[in-house]
Order: sequence, then C-alpha cells, then structure tokens
Amino acid sequence: MGAKVKTMERRGSTFIERIYLVEIFKGMARTLSHLLRNLKDNSKLYVRHYPEVQPEIPAGWRGRHRLTTHDDGTVKCVACFMCQTNCPADCISIEAGERHDDKAEKMPVSFNINLLECIYCGYCVEACPLDAIRMDTGIFSLTDNNRQAFIIGLDELLTTPGAYPEEDQKKGGA
Amino acid sequence: MSLLDIFMIAVRVAFSAFIPLCFIAVCVWMERRGAGFFQDRAGPNRAAIYGFRAAGLVQNAADGIKLFFKEDMISDHIKHKFFFVMAPFIVFFCAIISFAVVPFADTLVLGGRGYVMQGIPMDIGILWFLAVTGFSVYGIILAGWSSANKFGLLGSLRSAAQVISYEIPMGLALVSMLIVYGTVNLSEMAQYQGQLLFGFIPMWGAFLQPVSLMIFVIAAFAECNRTPFDLAEGESELVAGFHVEYSAMKFAVFFMGEYVAMFASSAIIITLFFGGYQIPFLNTQALITFAKPVAFFMMIGLPIGMYYFAGWIRRNNVSHYPRENDPRVTEANVYIKCFWGLVVIIELLLIGILICQSGGSAAHVFVALLQICTFLVKVTMMIFVYIWVRWTLPRFRYDQLQKLGWQMLLPLALLNIFITSAVVIALS
Repeated sequence: MGAKVKTMERRGSTFIERIYLVEIFKGMARTLSHLLRNLKDNSKLYVRHYPEVQPEIPAGWRGRHRLTTHDDGTVKCVACFMCQTNCPADCISIEAGERHDDKAEKMPVSFNINLLECIYCGYCVEACPLDAIRMDTGIFSLTDNNRQAFIIGLDELLTTPGAYPEEDQKKGGA
Repeated sequence: MSLLDIFMIAVRVAFSAFIPLCFIAVCVWMERRGAGFFQDRAGPNRAAIYGFRAAGLVQNAADGIKLFFKEDMISDHIKHKFFFVMAPFIVFFCAIISFAVVPFADTLVLGGRGYVMQGIPMDIGILWFLAVTGFSVYGIILAGWSSANKFGLLGSLRSAAQVISYEIPMGLALVSMLIVYGTVNLSEMAQYQGQLLFGFIPMWGAFLQPVSLMIFVIAAFAECNRTPFDLAEGESELVAGFHVEYSAMKFAVFFMGEYVAMFASSAIIITLFFGGYQIPFLNTQALITFAKPVAFFMMIGLPIGMYYFAGWIRRNNVSHYPRENDPRVTEANVYIKCFWGLVVIIELLLIGILICQSGGSAAHVFVALLQICTFLVKVTMMIFVYIWVRWTLPRFRYDQLQKLGWQMLLPLALLNIFITSAVVIALS
C-alpha cells in the first residue's frame, strides 16, 4: 500500500503575486465579506452564548469524579488503593477502614481528591476493579474562592449523581 | 480682539485637542468589535450599565476604570525612573500635537473676517507633521532603553530602525505631492482638492498621485507601528516589545497614544489624498450658495436613513437564545428612541437653516459643520482601513520589512518624483 503523494502547487512566484498588492486586496476582500455578513446579521457569528447556553458534553467526556454505590446506597469502593497508586498527579488520598456489612472487608474512611492537582487523565477510572470511581458527572467548570474548596471528600463524591444513563456507560463512557 | 475671535480660537483649539481623545474610545471599540466580526466572533459586548451595553462601548469605560485604578508599578531594577515615566507621555503628546495642523473645515467667514479651522494655523503644515511624528519615536526608544529589559530594548531598536527606513519613502512620496500642490500648507492643499479634474472627477490626491498614495499609506502604517509593521511589539517573539515593563495608567497612555497617532495619520492621509473636509463635487462656495437645497435634501434623507438604521438595531440587538421577556429588545427600543430624538433635533436645526437668510453667517456655520462631519466620517473610514488591514495581514519578518522599505518603496518614490516633475513641467 503505497502512500498517496499529493503535489502541492507552489504559489507566490508569478508577477502578480510578487507585486503583493493584488493579493493583499484579495485577502482584504475576503475579510470584509466576513465583516459585512456578521454586521448584517449577527446571529451568524460562530459563537456559543455561554454561560446562558451550555455546551453539550458527550458521555465519554471526563468531568469531575464521583464514587458509585451499590443498589442499597452503600459505597462500592473497597479501598484497594489501585486508583491512588495509579494516579500520575498524586491527587487521590484514601484512608481505609474495616467494613462490617458483609459486602467487602475494607471500605474508605476518607477519600479525598484534590481537583487542583488532578489532570483528568481518567487512569483512576481505568484502574478501578469494581467500577467504583467514575468521571461521568458532566461537571466541567469548577470555580471557588479558596483552595480548600477544591479538595472534595467522600460525601461530595458519593452524592453527585452521574449525568448519563447506564446504557451510555456501557458503550464506553469514562 | 473681539469676543468672537477669542471664542473661535477656543473652539478650534478645543476641537483639535479633544476630538482625537474622543476618537480613542471609537477606535478601541471599532478595533475590538471589528476584530471580532472579521473573525466570526462577537467581540466584547457583555459589560453593561443597568443592562445597557451600548454595542460594547461600556467595555471601554470598564477597561479605562480598571487601568486607572490598577497599581502603578515601577520595578526596582529601573534606574532612570524619570525617563521611564516620561516616555509614554512623549508618545502621547507627539501624537496629539501632530493633529494640530490638520484643517477640519474650510476658512470660516463670519462678519467679514476669516477664521482658519486648524488647531495651530501654521504655514509649515505637513513639515510639522513629519517633524512631530519623527519625534514620537524618541518616546518608544526611551521606553525600551529605560526599562533595562532585553525585550524592551529590542523592541525599541526595531522601532527606531523601522521609523528611519520608512520616514524616507514617506518624505519622498510627499515631495511629489508638494510638486503637484505647490504648497506645504495643509489648508491650501485641501482647498486645491475642491476643484474638479476634467470637469467630473474630484481633484483628490488619490486620483492625481495613486503611487504616492500607496507609498504614503504603507509608510504611515509603519510609522504608527500597526500591523503588518508592528515588529516593535511583536508579541510572539518580544512579549510586548517596548512596553513590557509598563503597567496600569502608564501602559494605558502608550495604548491611547497609539490610537491618537492612528487618528492623526488617518487625518493626514485624508487631507493629502482624499480631499480633506471637501464634499465631492460640492466645494465651499457651492455649498454656501446651495445651503438651502442641501439642508432640504438632508431633511429628507435623515429620517429615511434612520428608519433603516432602526430596523438594523431591532434585528441585531436581540438575544440569540430562547429567553422570556428579552431585555435586549427593550434595550433596542431605548436606543432607537434616543436616535430618533437626535434626528428630530438635527431636523429642527435644518429647519432653522431653511428659514435663515441665504448666504448669511448661519449658512457659513452650517457649511463649516457639514465639512467637519465630512472630515470626521472620512477619518473614521480611514481608521477602519487601518483596522481592516490589521486583521487581514500577518506581520512582516524583519528583513522583509527592511527590504520593502529600501528596495521597493524608496526607488518607487524617487521614480514617482521624476515622472511627476516631468509631467508638471510639461504641462506648465
């Protein structure tokens, strides 16, 4: 399978092009046509009126994390430390404790993610053996006044719902 | 000296000092919104006072207030603080006074006395402009040097070399204009351009000397440090060039100086090549004679123009997403009412012209105002060309810049002088 070679025509050597002025006027005509089109009807601008109009986030997009739960609302995470070990940014810190409800032997006592250090690579999601951590909240804009607010704990991770239905997850969501 | 004399002097000085300042806001607004529209985006249009955005003009006020109240920093490594502070003011001052010699209306005759409509009525005219704009580069050099910063120094060196290279083609392009006009006085040049060529083309410099126009415009772009010649502040290689170390209001003064320089050089280009304050086919004498018909046609034309303008505002000042009781529609209605109010006031003034005795002092004042408006409209169009070029062309490489200046423009300007002189001698 040979590579397809496309020879590009080399521009800029003819007399008209070397004078440069004609080409400048051509370029100016092009930009002016854009200006006039937008001036006539500014609904034709290629802009989204954020924040009033929010972008559509696809299911595979890696947003803020959340921890999933069993059907009875208890945490799925077994504190195996896979995500913490795998994290290239060192933003996850887990403290493990004993678990007594016969679902597993361990559970996290605290599960902190520093969102300012997180690089949203999704390795934690890949590493998790129990599908306990996901990045499917669809939250992409995080703002606050102090740094402490960006270290989110177990409560916040558990209460945030996923933004997409289960079928989308099976198609290969993050 | 009568009271009227003093009043007219105050008017003309105030005009040439404050109009460039007012145009800073217009220029910045045109630049930013224009840049947006050239690139299919909106530009700054969110800043608002009680929901009134004024098409983005409020953003200017917001930026101005921000720059005014920012901390004015001078780094400790700067040893020559006096020169450091002085530099932006040299640039700004030179830009403002270079506009002072531009006539913005024909000599106004009131009570048998002529009043020159020019900030500083001087015979040297264009020479003053050349001298003062040449001087403004001192501000840039001083800024770069006193910053004690590599980027700053490189930027100002580039600027100095650029101004030297382009001052020469600019001066030579002017020489051929001076041969044609036979004067250096800008008022006389503008009066000369009120004539007609072959009886139907306005005798503008652009039609008499197209080559000279091209060279002069290119050199003026370079003189203003505008794209494609803004190597002095090429942000991709020099961060911000000569004003890296400047912050807050000192930066703002540089910034405003740039826009005033743009205004002044637009005004000079207009005066030299596009007939200055002259309305095509209607010179001052004709305007005074036909003041009443002109006023009458304006009275008819204004409401028609305003009707379409109102329609345009109403179509474009709406939210482009579903919204209940869109506040921008109410906003648009307020704007439209304001503009209609303005039209009514102008109409009343025009009725006054129709009632007044023809050829009297009212007609003279009316013609002067008309010419001022023409002048400002032409200058705004020229400023638009500056902005248009900026958002079309990429920046030159430094060797390309020098090559264009010395190898293309300089011989072309010399050739133009020879041909012009030959033609002028052959004709006379």
